[in-house]
Amino acid sequence: MNNNLVILLIEDELAISNFISTILTHNKYNVIKAETGKDALALTASHCPDLILLDLGLPDMDGINVLKSIRIWNSVPIIVVSARGHEREKVEALDLGADDYITKPFGTSELLARIRTAVRHNQKVREDSHRELDKIIIGGLLIDYEKRIVKVEDKEIHLTPIEYKIIVLLSKNVGKVLTHDYLMKEIWGPYINENQTLRVNMANIRRKIEANPAEPKYILTEVGVGYRMVDEV
Amino acid sequence: MEESKRGRLKIFFGYAPGVGKTYAMLDDAQEQFQNGVDVIAGYIKTTTSVETLELLGKIPVLPNKVIGDKSNLCNEFDLDAALKRKPMLILIDELAHSNEIGVRNKKRYQDIEELLNSGIDVYTTVNVQNIESLNDIVQIITRAMENETVPDYIFDHADKVKLIDIEPDELLRRLDHDKLENNNDDKNAPEDFFTKENLRLLREVAMRKAADRISHNNQNDGMLSDKTTNTKLLVCISSSPSSAKCIRWTARTAEAFHAPWVAVYVENKENEKLSEKERQYYQANVELAEQLGAEITTLTGQDIATTVAQYAKLSGITNIVIGKSRKRKFFNGIFNEDLEDKLISLLNNTEIHIIPDSSIVKNYHAKRKEFKIKGRTFTWKDIIRTAFIISLTTIISAIMEYVGLSNDNIIMLYILAILIISKMTTGYKYGVAASILSVFIDNYFFVEPKFTFNVIQRDYPITFAVMLLTALITSTMTVRIKSKVDFAESREQRTEVLYEINKKLLVTRGLNNIVDLTNEYIVKIFGRSAIFYTKDPEEGIPGILKLAQEETDASFLLSPEESAVAHWVFINQKRAGADTDTLMQAKAYYMPVVFQGNVLGVLGVSCSNGLRIDQSNRAFMRRIASLVAMALERQRLSDEQRSILVETEKEKMRSNLLRAISHDLRTPLTGILGASSAILENKKTLDEDTKEQLISHIKDDSQWLIRMVENLLSVTRINEDTANVTKIPEAVEEIVAAAIGRIRKRFPEQKINVTVPDELLMVPMDGTLIEQVIINLIENAIKHSGETIINVSLKKKNNYAVIEVSDNGEGIPEQDFPYLFESYVPNGKRTSDSSRGMGIGLAICMSIIKAHQGKMEASNREDKGAVFRFTLPL
Repeated sequence: MNNNLVILLIEDELAISNFISTILTHNKYNVIKAETGKDALALTASHCPDLILLDLGLPDMDGINVLKSIRIWNSVPIIVVSARGHEREKVEALDLGADDYITKPFGTSELLARIRTAVRHNQKVREDSHRELDKIIIGGLLIDYEKRIVKVEDKEIHLTPIEYKIIVLLSKNVGKVLTHDYLMKEIWGPYINENQTLRVNMANIRRKIEANPAEPKYILTEVGVGYRMVDEV
Repeated sequence: MEESKRGRLKIFFGYAPGVGKTYAMLDDAQEQFQNGVDVIAGYIKTTTSVETLELLGKIPVLPNKVIGDKSNLCNEFDLDAALKRKPMLILIDELAHSNEIGVRNKKRYQDIEELLNSGIDVYTTVNVQNIESLNDIVQIITRAMENETVPDYIFDHADKVKLIDIEPDELLRRLDHDKLENNNDDKNAPEDFFTKENLRLLREVAMRKAADRISHNNQNDGMLSDKTTNTKLLVCISSSPSSAKCIRWTARTAEAFHAPWVAVYVENKENEKLSEKERQYYQANVELAEQLGAEITTLTGQDIATTVAQYAKLSGITNIVIGKSRKRKFFNGIFNEDLEDKLISLLNNTEIHIIPDSSIVKNYHAKRKEFKIKGRTFTWKDIIRTAFIISLTTIISAIMEYVGLSNDNIIMLYILAILIISKMTTGYKYGVAASILSVFIDNYFFVEPKFTFNVIQRDYPITFAVMLLTALITSTMTVRIKSKVDFAESREQRTEVLYEINKKLLVTRGLNNIVDLTNEYIVKIFGRSAIFYTKDPEEGIPGILKLAQEETDASFLLSPEESAVAHWVFINQKRAGADTDTLMQAKAYYMPVVFQGNVLGVLGVSCSNGLRIDQSNRAFMRRIASLVAMALERQRLSDEQRSILVETEKEKMRSNLLRAISHDLRTPLTGILGASSAILENKKTLDEDTKEQLISHIKDDSQWLIRMVENLLSVTRINEDTANVTKIPEAVEEIVAAAIGRIRKRFPEQKINVTVPDELLMVPMDGTLIEQVIINLIENAIKHSGETIINVSLKKKNNYAVIEVSDNGEGIPEQDFPYLFESYVPNGKRTSDSSRGMGIGLAICMSIIKAHQGKMEASNREDKGAVFRFTLPL
């Protein structure tokens, strides 16, 4: 057994599962395949994969339920594979603890990038639990948690406390999509229910840190789902 | 909705207390219970014998509701608990019971109707003396008053009636036995109720009633409708308690003939002066008739006979029922024809039924008192008028005497004065006073010896009588004319208002406008706050309230208690609330707006400050409600029609789309199929370069297919039913940014220039769809302009967000404009590259924007290239 990362691929379509496993194997990952939710749960328990690719449409049970069951006892990064246009499904999956989602149809490079991000994020979280990061640098953007300073291209940016809270929250989950609901609850608490405020704050942040707010580099919008801070520019 | 299934009612019917109704009911229930039916006992009377109670066995008992204070505790059936518990079958003893104050409904049968309406089967018991239409017959037999009655329709509409019958001898024996056993003094009837003779008669009445019901059920419809067209009864009701007898008689006859019947009340000026007691009797009569199933009509007219006759002719009445006292009124008898004689002379084809009545005498006295009450009111204005005219006449008379005219002319002058006074004042009193005064003045001033009352001439009484009669006749006529005018005015005013409402409703479109208009009129007419529910408040849509100026606060109308009443009205299709029998503690009167058996809305009128809704207000409200019902129905139909139009439009769009797809999909599929089979079949002969070329073709074609499918998927997000999308506010710049991000992935080299305003634009939209539109437009621009820069801009213009995608390409060919946004283009009209270009992309953009109530247009720029622009309402 080599030291390659183990990926559990849960997918019932043979053609898709074949092509994904080919790509993954070529990229030095060990692939375990599961075709049903039941198998998936059993394999997760027995093989302790480093990452799970989960297709939400499974023959025996709802992918969301597989996700729920795994999340009860395991924090392994899970990337959900879903069809385009089902934002609600994606939001639900993310709120239930999925790390990321990828929309069918997707290219190989996109898939590999998502896997890398998820794995890296997971490792970082584990390391972070030992020591707190004091700053993060993404391209020209620097967030210094200790001094509470945000800099773009070495120029200090003035953010309101709320804006700072948002940007810190996104940067601590860099690479990961944070849903609107999650952000609202984290920043304003559980009793606020309209996301206009969030949009306004995001628009302000973008006008402060992005060169062109219509072509953002650092904070991307996932339409209908939420926001993601990129981990590399 | 499961509520739509009505529960079934089974009545255990007996001729006297003690025949074993409760026993039979429990026995039947026990059988149902054994068969697994969910039975509960809602109310079993407390005085039931032990053996009977034992029959209850394991059937669960619903706890009773305890009402009242310590001194007067009452156990009542707990309707709300029963509705909440929702069993399949509920047992409720004593159908005719009247509930204590504080319970929602006045009568138990109303509770039972509610249970039936919510789909619960009910078993209940009732005695013959409690049936409304038989009430007076039973009263004659037993000489005992029975106040607790049940309207006949409850009995007639019951799904099953089981007659519980035992021999009167047996019943008497049983009662004696009971009395000996446990001193049972249950039966609250007097001692002489249970005589063998009484019981025999009651038994006969009960059996007849049960038999009538059977024959009623067995009548086939053909026969029934034949009968119905032949007979229609009319009963004249008055404000005297004796009318009840006529009403009951008519109800029984109508039932026997299966004929409809109308209760008519003739209103004239006199009625407005009804005493409080008479008003109560009148109200009671109307309610009784309504309960027995009559249609209530109020007519206005001076002469009862003519008014009734006219109405009877118009509405095809075949039988008229009137009550008549045996006492002849002497004075009236000489001058007035009797009502029945008049009716007979006016209607020669109608049968007249006369119900003898002894209690009319009382009523006559009451009428006599009326006159005295009327005479009490003097107004200063009228007194001054009278005095002035008399003085003037005296002066003129003095002049006439001076000139030398005879006393006869002076008397004539006084008669003229009395005529004028009677005409100008209200009531008889001024005329009468003036005539007496005139006689004295004439005597004093103008009859020798002057300035004394000494001489009494022989013709004196005649002069006086003529004057008095003149005064009386004139005032009577004046009063009559005045009252007629008043009537005409008030009726015209109401008709005018109804006409106005109708006119306005006819031109009003939209549910909310109809509701506002109705509220406005109700507030205006009644001077009270109004509330209008278009949907059952249970569905979470509150009523629309309009506050009257007369009231400072009407927010109580929105309270949950009040909307619960409205909910009840919705479910039961009956009026409720203040001044009714149901939910009387409510602060408003609620009336359903019904059209063809469907409740389209509920109208509420505030009754706070002790305001009341009397019969005429109710009738008026009913008329308004029927107008509103028509307006609402019209609105519903036009909505329906519009949705049909939308449906056809969508159907057209869909079929066009399908045609376009089948056309557009074939090309890339052929490409993929061809390339892949070429590789598979010629593996060995093909060189690497050719292979690679073929494979990259496959990739291109499949990418094209993916985009195509994404476009198609986006169409499915447009709501099937309404051609609408679920819109949530989105920041437009985020959507633009996301679209550009996706384009960048596919065309990393493309130069795109994006401008957004500083102001954040939030637009309600389906973000994914608008993203798709922007992607399609940019892709289209890339396809037609190649390497040049593409400009994407977002602006705010008035109340719209405007998004523009422009390029520097060759522009749009003139001949393409008409088909630019069409999904299907007749053969040969589309330029050659479009089959691999956008295809249906632009058509999909168009339908997405339309579903957002936005606009989309394309034009060529003055210098070079094309501009696609779409707007979204903010």
